[in-house]
Amino acid sequence: MNASDLAIDVKNLVTHYGTRKILDGISFQARQGEIMVIMGGSGSGKSTLLRHLLGLHQPTSGSISLLGKDITQLSADAMYDLRKNMGVAFQGGALFNSMTVGENVELPLREHTRLDENTMRIMSRMKLEVVHLAGFENLMPSELSGGMIKRAALARAIVMDPRLLFFDEPSAGLDPVVSAELDELILILRDAMNMTIVVVTHELESAFKIADRITVLDQGRILMSDTVAAVRASDNERIQSLLNRTPRNEAINPDEYMERLTREIF
Amino acid sequence: MPDPLTSFVALVGQRSLQAVREVGYHAALLVEAFYWLLFGRWRRQPVRLSAVFKEAVGVGVNAIPIVALASFAVGMMLAIQGIYTLRTFGAEGQVVLGISLSVTREFAPLITGIFVAGRSGSAIAARIGTMQISQEIDALRVIGINPVRYLVAPLLAAMLLTLPALTILSDLIALFGGALYCAGELSLPMGIFFDRSFEVLVADDVIHGVLKSFIFAVIITLIGTANGFNVSAGAEGVGQATTRSVVLGCIGIILADMVFTFLMSR
Amino acid sequence: MDIKIEDWPPFKIVRLCGDVDLHSSPRAREAILDCLKLKAPLLVELSAVSYMDSSGVASLVEGYQTAKKQGLEFGLVAVAQSAMNVLKLARLDKVFPIHASIEERLESA
Repeated sequence: MNASDLAIDVKNLVTHYGTRKILDGISFQARQGEIMVIMGGSGSGKSTLLRHLLGLHQPTSGSISLLGKDITQLSADAMYDLRKNMGVAFQGGALFNSMTVGENVELPLREHTRLDENTMRIMSRMKLEVVHLAGFENLMPSELSGGMIKRAALARAIVMDPRLLFFDEPSAGLDPVVSAELDELILILRDAMNMTIVVVTHELESAFKIADRITVLDQGRILMSDTVAAVRASDNERIQSLLNRTPRNEAINPDEYMERLTREIF
Repeated sequence: MPDPLTSFVALVGQRSLQAVREVGYHAALLVEAFYWLLFGRWRRQPVRLSAVFKEAVGVGVNAIPIVALASFAVGMMLAIQGIYTLRTFGAEGQVVLGISLSVTREFAPLITGIFVAGRSGSAIAARIGTMQISQEIDALRVIGINPVRYLVAPLLAAMLLTLPALTILSDLIALFGGALYCAGELSLPMGIFFDRSFEVLVADDVIHGVLKSFIFAVIITLIGTANGFNVSAGAEGVGQATTRSVVLGCIGIILADMVFTFLMSR
Repeated sequence: MDIKIEDWPPFKIVRLCGDVDLHSSPRAREAILDCLKLKAPLLVELSAVSYMDSSGVASLVEGYQTAKKQGLEFGLVAVAQSAMNVLKLARLDKVFPIHASIEERLESA
């Protein structure tokens, strides 16, 4: 794999929250035009990993290269320029409630470009067409349903035609039909724009449908980062239990267990 | 089990540390907000005039009725109390001096500050707190919009513009309230009241009050925004932040008023 | 990005070459709208476009709409694959009149 083809290159990422270690030695890569799904249960550290990929936190150690630039070392100005090539759709949409849907989608254009007003209008409406929200630009976010909010957030994320798209839990809280539509949309976007797309999810079905490669996180470590077929075929116990949705069954240490139950009782 | 004294000392220590940290956070916020106001243009992130005007309407223009009503009542109350007190010395005629000085130097800025803190301090904290938990602040950052530049700087500018203006308005309306009562009680024509009032007042008195209002503007903005940004846990957190910003805002204003008056009157 | 303007009576041709992106698309937009002011039917030739983003497509949309209002013909010619992908994404490939070449359009007249 040539280093210049790598859209994302994370090396040895270690992060802490207070004194607690959240991510421990995370390394993985994604190529341009690839759909990388980051999977893991709750508490696996996948949300933290996403926040670091977005440059919202400074890691304890390790490096994160996006489009060939190490964002842990980047100056504020260089990061500002890099952000033009990054789009993010947050789990809850994170649309600005004081603005209409159309103004939300146009905001990145207004901040980053000096395009003509008409051009910006047409661009934002084109993106709303892509996510099947044509004609909704004058509504307020509070007037939209959950699935519509996610699609509007996706429209805002892709309005600048970014090379990197991050999508946090696209199917969380949506009915199966709507979430299948979103999966379809992700595939179409990649094919049309050759975007590198990182999807964070705990939904297996959707992960297997859209992923080129899957990174499985568990308790702050990477269990596996490989193709869909390899992940399916893995004989790792934790991965299998994730795939088969079996609850974790850890061995019980009777003494420790009793200690936990009776601690601070006198 | 730690003994009560040690845990008390530990608590005091933790609280002090937290307080110092909080003051530091406010100071950093202030410096950053001024930085964006002054240099944002050169960092390709100007503070937009339209945003300043929008905030100015919200925190200033819309506060006119309530500030006017309160100022009128305070002016009248000062006249009632002044005449009552001065009558003991048979010096009712001096009431104009008392009202004029206490209104311009003390009551107008204080009343304006406290009402704006109650009205807007809570609204600011609630707005930013809600944006924090719905990831809108994160969304701003990933779009490349500095939240301090976008949310705090225009607000600070609007407060610094409108609070002194409101204070001068409050000066006039409180004097009007006082004049009205004097006209009834002492049969002192309003024209004469204002003539005498402007005779005793020197520019310094009004400036003294207006200077205070600049300090109050900074206090209200910082406490409101800082409490908003520090919301972490859900709707309950937003509620706490709004209460906290009103209480701390009012306390901050009164303490700052005391210190400022002490320093300026020496 | 380079813009060449040619006369193929009765058509005006705007030839876009290179990257039509956020920086260059305002010039493409201006060229298209200026040509339409001459009240001539317009073809935009895109065979040498290496990359076109949605700001470029938005300029084409605006040009098409302006031409329609004036009753002028507006068409795209020899759309390069990368530009075609972006058009298809917004289903605009079904909206614009698209011709394989300038000659083809002239012969069919």
